[in-house]
Amino acid sequence: MKLIISSGVVLALLAILPSIQYVLAAGDSTGEYLDRRVEIWGLFYRLMIVAFTVGTVVSGMIVWLVLRFRESNPKAKPTSYEDSGSW
Amino acid sequence: MRTQVRGKMSGHSTWPEWVYVGVVVALLCYVGAEAWNIERIIEHVPEDAKLIKVQGQQWLWTFEHEDGTKEIGELHLEKGKAYKFEVTSKDVIHSFNIHDYTVLMDAVPGRINTVWFSPNIEGEFPIQCREYCGLIHYNMRGTLIVEDKGA
Repeated sequence: MKLIISSGVVLALLAILPSIQYVLAAGDSTGEYLDRRVEIWGLFYRLMIVAFTVGTVVSGMIVWLVLRFRESNPKAKPTSYEDSGSW
Repeated sequence: MRTQVRGKMSGHSTWPEWVYVGVVVALLCYVGAEAWNIERIIEHVPEDAKLIKVQGQQWLWTFEHEDGTKEIGELHLEKGKAYKFEVTSKDVIHSFNIHDYTVLMDAVPGRINTVWFSPNIEGEFPIQCREYCGLIHYNMRGTLIVEDKGA
């Protein structure tokens, strides 16, 4: 469990730290300005990739669960408490 | 004893589920961090940005430049310069939108909202109210004219 939590913290930091660096590095130099269109649409496309990835993983998992654990699956076998008839 | 009960009830290893949860949490962290990051970046107004006061009213836009020059329905800007807009409204809530430059800010009576951008393409671009503001809302339009003074 500790490994899982610490891995989660590390992953979160890997996402957050570069963001902080970007913000602190936001330029004050004159003459060069960021392009809102590029930044905003870039963000939109990145987040759409994440959204569709999550959607694919979640729906794929549901489809797999339904097919794998249906009663008619040849690999299906009752759980130990179903087998014994008592919970 | 508790471990045995849990093991019996689940009947399988739970580590794939924790990996699944971890991946989803990591993706959510990424989404939040990226959105926050981009918002911070685009809200960072350059120090040399020129001020434009924008006032919405039923059903037209008024623009006032730093030197006091006023324009109604048309806004002339210089390519490559940064402009900070102070947006407000005289009557009801409007929304100042230059679609081609992804500029969008609510114009609220009694409140000044700010947004900035730097036009980098010459030409004429539509300005449109994006908040329903009454009968002629559909025609509360203006034109942004970006000129290249250096050319």
